[in-house]
Amino acid sequence: MFKLILKMAWKNSFLRLSRTLLVVLMISVSMSMMLGIAGLYDGMTLNMIDKTKRSESGDLSIYAKDYRVQKDIKYRIENAWSIKKELEKRDGVEAVVLRIKADGLVSTARKSSFASIIGIDLDDEERFGRFSEFLKKGEIDLSKRGAIIGIELAKTLKVRIGSKLVFSTQDISGEINSMALKVKGIVHTTNIGLDTGAVFIDKQKLHRFLGTKPDEAIQIAIKSEDKKLLEILKAKYPALEVKNFLELQPMLKQMQDMMLIFNGVSFAIVMGVVFIGILGVMYVSILDRIREFGIMLGVGMHYKYIRLQIILESLFVGLTGYISGAVLGVVLLIYLRDYGLDFSAFSDALAMWGYESTIKGTIKISYFTNTFVAIMSASMLSVIIPLRKIKKLNPIDVIKAEK
Amino acid sequence: MIKLQNVNKYFYRGEPREVHALKDISLTIDDGEFTLFSGASGCGKTTLLNAIGALDSVNSGKIYLDEKEITSLSEDERTTLRLNEIGFVFQAYNLVPVLSVEENIGFIMKLRGFSDSEIKQRVLEVASMLEIDNKLLSLPHALSGGEQQRVAVARAVASKPKIILADEPTANLDSKNSQKLMDMMRELNIKEGVSILFASHDELVKESVDRVIYLSDGALVNA
Repeated sequence: MFKLILKMAWKNSFLRLSRTLLVVLMISVSMSMMLGIAGLYDGMTLNMIDKTKRSESGDLSIYAKDYRVQKDIKYRIENAWSIKKELEKRDGVEAVVLRIKADGLVSTARKSSFASIIGIDLDDEERFGRFSEFLKKGEIDLSKRGAIIGIELAKTLKVRIGSKLVFSTQDISGEINSMALKVKGIVHTTNIGLDTGAVFIDKQKLHRFLGTKPDEAIQIAIKSEDKKLLEILKAKYPALEVKNFLELQPMLKQMQDMMLIFNGVSFAIVMGVVFIGILGVMYVSILDRIREFGIMLGVGMHYKYIRLQIILESLFVGLTGYISGAVLGVVLLIYLRDYGLDFSAFSDALAMWGYESTIKGTIKISYFTNTFVAIMSASMLSVIIPLRKIKKLNPIDVIKAEK
Repeated sequence: MIKLQNVNKYFYRGEPREVHALKDISLTIDDGEFTLFSGASGCGKTTLLNAIGALDSVNSGKIYLDEKEITSLSEDERTTLRLNEIGFVFQAYNLVPVLSVEENIGFIMKLRGFSDSEIKQRVLEVASMLEIDNKLLSLPHALSGGEQQRVAVARAVASKPKIILADEPTANLDSKNSQKLMDMMRELNIKEGVSILFASHDELVKESVDRVIYLSDGALVNA
């Protein structure tokens, strides 16, 4: 019996071909657009998270207690080098970098700005976060007086490659010292803090300048997918502060949540469209065939079989829409992932928020599973009203009407 | 056996336009009868046929099918009764447009849970009797009116119901096809022993049946 009902449902789904195709088109276009928007939203956020991790926080960071509040170099990790070596031996830890930092004033002959000077090891940073990929102008060179600065800071100071800078800050003894630097490179990390206020120099040079020891660090950044590592390190180093990237970058957490809401709203709108579309088609289709259903009831077909047929018809329309929408969506998402959307005209505004001018999308399996569940649910729900019409149908009324 | 006792049916009861469609009808139809309800348009013959077929309710009186009282059945029980005991042939054929002739004929049998092999065998048997065995794979829209009506008859008879109710089965057919249909239904009546009740004002049907029950303004003229 089910086979016969399945066949009737399938054939009836496409009996009015142009009408069904119109709904399928509506579902597939709205679904693919929704997938594209979700991919772009997530792509924007994931891109920011990725670059923030690579340029600054890692998956986890370790600081001396109180450093993040006081921002004073007296709160530094004294045995940082040995911790780094220990961490590098752990399974699941991909890379570890040590950084030394100090806040101060960076000046040119005409301009000055608050900034942080960050001492880095270029080889370590390359392994940790492919630092060279952030380079926008100049070269990655910290030799001699070489410095690499954030792109927005370069704009504020109106400096170019080769420009000279003076960075002034307090060393560990409290003395204010200055060092002359030469801009060798300008980086765009999309991490607002670094782009607007970071001056990168060689780590050993900064140690000497600040008077700190080479095995000390302000930050130990760790790249690791191990979800348990945070708790392990917290337990192991109770005198230090161990944080994951979302704790260190609460703005990113907020952005993630916001994008989740955006995606949810887009999702709800599309599902509403699907629901109304299928409801319209099923309702008209049932009105068209009301006599057929009346006769079926008349000759002894129980309502449950008619209900099953209608539900299957609706699911077939939804499924066809879903499949075509998924195909369109995959094509769109692959394009967005590989080429992105060029928003160069708004690059300044986007940079202020830490976005690149070309926004690339991402693809997640969950887009397709969630959409499948939602479209199938919308398809099922959309037949409730038409089914109520059939439920109330008295076969005799249909039979009388035909005479 | 079909037995009606003081059956009354009203339409628009309590309204100014109230119609007393069946007036105190009492009659008995034996098994295997080939019977016609005849009368002018609006006399109540279709209403009577629908009441016997458990398609329509009555306001008073009782209807028995083989000692089983059917007027007090629930909607679901009436549907089951129609499925298992009664075959219907409608004026407008009412075949399922997306199913082939073979599937249409076997449709009621499928609903009743017959096996595929039983259905296939019976469909061939009935289709051959009604001379539509060469159309089994066709869809209804590809058939002539006469052929569609024969498929409708085949569908009604295939599951071997006790009674077949045929409401104006010849109304959309020309005289040649009408005669052919009546001959075939007579053959089914004899071969299968099924009671067939017609509602029609077609003279050809009147000439073909064993018994004619006349109605006038909802009342029996003779039984």
